[in-house]
Amino acid sequence: MVLTEEDSSKSGKNNENSSDNASSQYECNICLETAKDAVISMCGHLFCWPCLHKWLETKPLNQTCPVCKSAINKDKVIPLYGRNSSNKTDPRDKIPPRPQGQRTEAPRNNFFASGLDGLHVSFGIGAFPFSFFASTFNFTTDNRMPAPPPGSPQYAEEQFLSRIFLIIAIIFIIWILLA
Amino acid sequence: MASIASARIKREFREVVTSDELTRCKIKLELLNDNFTELKGEIGGPPDTAYEGGTFQLEIKIPETYPFNPPKVRFLTKIWHPNISSVTGAICLDILKDQWAAAMTLRTVLLSLQALLATPEPDDPQDAVVANQYKSNNKIFLKTARHWTNVYAGSTSAAEPEFDSQVKKLVDMGFDSHKSRVALSSHLWNVEQAIESLYD
Repeated sequence: MVLTEEDSSKSGKNNENSSDNASSQYECNICLETAKDAVISMCGHLFCWPCLHKWLETKPLNQTCPVCKSAINKDKVIPLYGRNSSNKTDPRDKIPPRPQGQRTEAPRNNFFASGLDGLHVSFGIGAFPFSFFASTFNFTTDNRMPAPPPGSPQYAEEQFLSRIFLIIAIIFIIWILLA
Repeated sequence: MASIASARIKREFREVVTSDELTRCKIKLELLNDNFTELKGEIGGPPDTAYEGGTFQLEIKIPETYPFNPPKVRFLTKIWHPNISSVTGAICLDILKDQWAAAMTLRTVLLSLQALLATPEPDDPQDAVVANQYKSNNKIFLKTARHWTNVYAGSTSAAEPEFDSQVKKLVDMGFDSHKSRVALSSHLWNVEQAIESLYD
């Protein structure tokens, strides 16, 4: 049968990595292959990180261990670093979704905490006339995306503009408070 | 992702086919195409149930997103069971729906279905008529299920000959034999009521 032929050729390739029996206890519980970029859940079940990540994405509202259905989440899995695997490549490079997940949370926490930038953004969400103002301002910031080095005339000019906008904004606020 | 699906089915297929435990449980699996998306399962009716001695064929379709989503399974063999539609063979089983987990395999699905035959869940029915009969008239339910197993799943035990003669009565009147059997089964083998429902 086609199946057995393919299988024998495949296992021939895999022979250098592992003998079947020894590796079976290190199989990912999702793809059933020897776990790559292995992570282990708090309940002790082994997965490839890409496999587990996909499973968690499939059921975002009810994240449970695929084996024992205990609660599970991204932050509570432990990566496993074998000697040989860590020598070749850093597993975290091969696990793109995990660092990304942490990065997406960060801006939400820093929303109001980061000085001047936060101030500008909060204008944007404020009263109606400001939203137009804020969007034009944001447009200018988008344009300077490759930030000019400090000390250059462009940098000074932008600092100046930024201050003017800040002053105008403060005047608006005072005007609104007085009106 | 489709590669995960086919690689996994390939492994699971081998696991089921080579397992002595599953052969003992009368569970079989057969590939229907080369890209591992359609299979045919077979489970034996569990002992000491109305399904004992029957073999039940299952249609198994593997979605592209397998194993992150469950396989689509339905009974090809007609069966009288509260959680399986007597018309379409659709199955009401939580692990084939929201309780599916990626670590489950064809092996666990087939074993779960066999367990479902042994322990129906009439409070979560797929076929309301059957579930109602299971709860209100369990004796007739068991006889009917045994009769269906005998006729459609090829068991040889407990043929319920009086049911056969009642079906034959309706067939002699010109009705289709399966339709007659459904009508009789749904009306507690009351011939008048069955005929009435067939004329509706």
